[in-house]
Amino acid sequence: MTNNEESVNEEILQQARQLLEQLESGDMQNARTSIDKLSGGSHDASLFTEVGKLTRQLHEAISSFQMDNRITDIAAQDIPDAKDRLQYVIDTTKNAADKTMDSVEQCIPLADGIKQNASELLSDWSRLHRRELKPGEFRELAGRVEEFLKSVDADAGQLHASLTDVLMAQGYQDLTGQVIQKVITMVHDVEENLITLIKMFGNMENFKQAQVEEQEHHGAEGPIVNLEKRNDVLASQDDVDDLLSSLGF
Amino acid sequence: MKILVVDDFSTMRRIVKNLLRDLGFTNTAEADDGNTALPMLQAGDFDFLVTDWNMPGMQGIDLLKNVRADPNLKDLPVLMVTAEAKREQIVEAAQAGVNGYIVKPFTAGTLKEKIDKIFERLEGGA
Repeated sequence: MTNNEESVNEEILQQARQLLEQLESGDMQNARTSIDKLSGGSHDASLFTEVGKLTRQLHEAISSFQMDNRITDIAAQDIPDAKDRLQYVIDTTKNAADKTMDSVEQCIPLADGIKQNASELLSDWSRLHRRELKPGEFRELAGRVEEFLKSVDADAGQLHASLTDVLMAQGYQDLTGQVIQKVITMVHDVEENLITLIKMFGNMENFKQAQVEEQEHHGAEGPIVNLEKRNDVLASQDDVDDLLSSLGF
Repeated sequence: MKILVVDDFSTMRRIVKNLLRDLGFTNTAEADDGNTALPMLQAGDFDFLVTDWNMPGMQGIDLLKNVRADPNLKDLPVLMVTAEAKREQIVEAAQAGVNGYIVKPFTAGTLKEKIDKIFERLEGGA
């Protein structure tokens, strides 16, 4: 123990004895002053500041640790999951489109067949009305009408079944909607975490400026999803036709 | 009339083929990007090309430019059917010598109208 520490200890001991005497004699006013002296006076301010700093650092360390975990989760789980989800959307919409087109391609020849048979029968039927049918032709026409009615009966059943398949194939909208909704939530989550990262380690001014800057689009980008925010895009086939005709097309 | 339909999505190729068949064009072939389409065009006797723009491999605009640069193909009529709708892209396609430009989503009526118009012009010019 150094001399300095010894003298500090001695002083504290002295103050403590004095406090005890004051308490025993009921001198509360001086006892309070002694308690204040004992509890340390001028050291307090800097001590509290240090404790405050430590608390804040601890808080930041804890919250950045939590964020590290969140970012790790996003990279390890959420993003692969989102990729699976989007692949599911591609597969499901393609399946639905294929099923629908299978059904439609079954319907089209049935419709074409009904139309062709009906117009042939109609022209012979008109001959019947005009009394142009030869004897024997009527019997043949009646037979064809019967065949036609039978085939329409069967074809209409087939058309109904195919149209029901088309109807059912539209269920993809519900399924993919749910899956995409999850991806939107995830993207939102990533956005928030990135903003927190920028706040902690980056430059918020640059971020705010980038938010309002107009993005430039070059090359092929697929369907335009934010038409109302764009002024470099034509909104309809009519606008395309107008532009082309102004170019001499 | 032999037509080549180029799109990376089989669904869209199928839609276009169905619409073409309704218009009476039954002789069609398919390719899924410019790199597959160009050798088919060079080897085959195609009379008409319908192509998307945005495809992996060779894009439609580059296919168009290659077709116009090839002495045997330079007069082949090309109809672009694409979701690309930027003003600069349509101007680029026009300058590259496209014969018609349809933006997706499109209707059967629009396809018929553009194809009719292309053939009218070709017959008028011939």
